[in-house]
Amino acid sequence: MFFLKKYKIIIFISVLLVSVLIMITYNLKYGTDKSFLRKIVLETVSPAYEVLSGSIQSVQDAWLRYILLVGIQEENRNLKKKINELKAVIVTYQEGYQEAQRLRKLLSISENNKYRFIAARVIGREQAALSRTVLINKGSSDGLKNGMPVIAYPGLIGRLIDVSWHVSRVLLFIDENSNIDAIVQRNRTQGIVSGAGSRGMIFKYISKTQDVKEGDVVVSSGMGGVFPKGWLIGRVIHVDKQSAGLFLKINVAPFVDFSKLEELLILSSEETVVE
Amino acid sequence: MLYYLLLPLLLILLIVLQSTITDIVFSNYFVFEMSLVVVIYTGFHLDLVKGTILAFFLGFVLDCVGGSVPGLFAFVYIIIFWFSFFISDLLDTEKTHVIIFFSFFCALLKEIILNIFYYLAFDVNLLLDAHYIIFMQALIISLVAPLLFYLMDRTGIFIYEKKV
Repeated sequence: MFFLKKYKIIIFISVLLVSVLIMITYNLKYGTDKSFLRKIVLETVSPAYEVLSGSIQSVQDAWLRYILLVGIQEENRNLKKKINELKAVIVTYQEGYQEAQRLRKLLSISENNKYRFIAARVIGREQAALSRTVLINKGSSDGLKNGMPVIAYPGLIGRLIDVSWHVSRVLLFIDENSNIDAIVQRNRTQGIVSGAGSRGMIFKYISKTQDVKEGDVVVSSGMGGVFPKGWLIGRVIHVDKQSAGLFLKINVAPFVDFSKLEELLILSSEETVVE
Repeated sequence: MLYYLLLPLLLILLIVLQSTITDIVFSNYFVFEMSLVVVIYTGFHLDLVKGTILAFFLGFVLDCVGGSVPGLFAFVYIIIFWFSFFISDLLDTEKTHVIIFFSFFCALLKEIILNIFYYLAFDVNLLLDAHYIIFMQALIISLVAPLLFYLMDRTGIFIYEKKV
């Protein structure tokens, strides 16, 4: 008994060690699947595994979602930047395309006529109550002179009134001071087209006996030697036969939208080579 | 008595935590063997009987969860515990570098014992195939050991209001 008390620790440890060695030997010999203690431990461990794994998985998922959101935010920022850049490019392309379209129309005018044309760009507008003029970037140094007809697709729009060295002013047909000898294309009825400001133009001095209808095309008559014959001016939009007086009251709408003029052609001389 | 009642539960939680960290942080490439550091710590601070029982339980739970031959890790951990226990008188176990070097040594010792066992039992030489992994694993756990020692010290102070 004294021996047991004195050496109890050594005995306990030795027993434990021998047990472990027996356990190893037994399991090596008969396999590990049948171990009852192992099953007990695994059954005990599994709930703890589930709780811990579930918690960590939740944190991991939240973290991944956060990372994903940060990535999406960064991507979104980059895409917005890209969209703005592309919008700017598209605007540039649209501008170029529209300019090309306008120039093509002007070119079609110059190609279909044996006149000498000088192309110019509108650099300013004056649209006061009584005045409808535009400034262009060509002047006498480019061969321009007062009175030269100005054309924009598809027809005449006015004439030069002030020509400086590098800048000129164009008096548009809708200006109150503008008058041009014109004829109705369908039946050659002659009259004077005068500017009426924001109301467009008025076709004057047409007798009430004349046959003028809405939709008739009005072209230049070539009288007076300023404007060549046969160029489009406008279309009859209203004929008032009830008004008092000897003449019809005829409203003409120009073919050209004067508020959107950007490129023009100036007809400098007849029957010459196209430039 | 409370110690012996709570011990299995706490050891199971430790093994679960160890497996989870190994899975998440190291993607099962390295085993983050906190249990080994716990055994070394108990070797430095616990008495022979309590420490041996803890090493046995810890090794046995690890055997069951890890799928190795039951009793193998229990045996190895008991050896490690005894080694730490008897050598702790010769070392200044409060020094960080002592903890690091001793943990590294014990990690390698454990692998050597396991390797000898597998070689004798199954004629498999793990050191030849996985020496880099074993070395890195020992290095990582030895570098983390001072932190784990500190945490266990704090836990002891929290529970017993003094160091274990």
